[in-house]
Amino acid sequence: MSAAPRRLIIPPISAASPGALYQQIVDGLKREISEGRLAPGTALPSFRGLAEDLLVSVITVKRAYEELEREGMIYRRQGLGTFVSDTADERSRDAKKERARQLLVEALREATEAGLDTKDVVALLRALLPKKKGLKNVSRS
Amino acid sequence: MSAALEIRGLVKRFHPFMLGPLDMTVPQGAIYGLVGPNGSGKTTTIDMIFGMGAKESGEIRVFGLDHLKDEVRVKQQVGYVSPDLNYAPWGRVRRAIQFVRGFYPTWDESYCDHLLHTFGIRRDESITTLSFGARIKLSIVLALSWRPKLLILDEPTVGLDAISKREVFSELLHAVHDGDRSVLISSHGLSDIERFADHIGMIKAGRMILEGSTAEVIERHRLVDFTPNRGHRIVESPGVFVQEMTGNRWRVLVDTDRAPIEWLRQNGADNIAESRVTLEDLVVALGRQ
Repeated sequence: MSAAPRRLIIPPISAASPGALYQQIVDGLKREISEGRLAPGTALPSFRGLAEDLLVSVITVKRAYEELEREGMIYRRQGLGTFVSDTADERSRDAKKERARQLLVEALREATEAGLDTKDVVALLRALLPKKKGLKNVSRS
Repeated sequence: MSAALEIRGLVKRFHPFMLGPLDMTVPQGAIYGLVGPNGSGKTTTIDMIFGMGAKESGEIRVFGLDHLKDEVRVKQQVGYVSPDLNYAPWGRVRRAIQFVRGFYPTWDESYCDHLLHTFGIRRDESITTLSFGARIKLSIVLALSWRPKLLILDEPTVGLDAISKREVFSELLHAVHDGDRSVLISSHGLSDIERFADHIGMIKAGRMILEGSTAEVIERHRLVDFTPNRGHRIVESPGVFVQEMTGNRWRVLVDTDRAPIEWLRQNGADNIAESRVTLEDLVVALGRQ
């Protein structure tokens, strides 16, 4: 099992992008995993290798890997390296679901602050939902 | 992780300035950013490591070795870069390389070639005609090429353009790749330090006021605006650094380890608005005190 091509494995890490640098790495790797570009079992670059490629400190990459490991997206094997978990797909779906839930909670709070009642919120949500089944057509703006 | 550099209770007086008592620890394999306002003692600290000037008291150990008693062994392992280094008397780049190479059995000629190529310096160039930035790059080449275990750089990115800075940091990250080498860099380029340094230490008026993992140190601080109702207790508390007070709106920097936001709320802060900080925000806020 050879390491994934390191360069351009994830989008550029920039202070201008939202979120801490380590979070950008976490998000970038999650996206790669959930969209199938990093398959289960794929070896990830070493901390230092990725740090060098992304031009960030080693500790930033280490932190991102620890976070992904905690979430079960990747696992480490002493002496062998870091790999994408077999269940990473599933977990990234779970993580997305949880994130969606959090965003809805926040949306609900804002709506309440704006004086909307339950009926208004439901109407608002319904207007955003696509006509067909699933959420495939919702634009990601 | 063992320490590449360990400073304990270092004191140096230049009337009226006094450095220390200063403690500092550079972990092995790390890039350590030393930051702080002008005149806070960064260069003095670095000079002391190399035995330039006598310290009043304290201990400086490099890989466990005393910096004076084991001076030769220390200097065989520690590289130094500063814009003050002047290689111009050697004429051409080639001669400066020959001169420095002679001191170090560990000199790696192919690495030196790689660095010269990366930084766009030719061996046949005259040092006096090199730009200011290229001279700094040359001193980095001369210090990295013998692969010191600890590389100390005093303001290495002063006068470097954005592209050159990236090249320099890229090479520094590469230098610590094997985990065996460490870098201590003093700089005012705070966004660079925030991005590239694993550890930071902030010196102010000769004292280390903050030291630790860069991410951890930055993340535990917040800038907080609030309206005080019984504000006195907040302001006098450890971990709270007042920035501004205008009317009934106050702005403080808090170390949330010592003064959590919830604690502020319970101790007289209403209408709290908090924001994360960058290293620059942090250095400005703490430097102001």
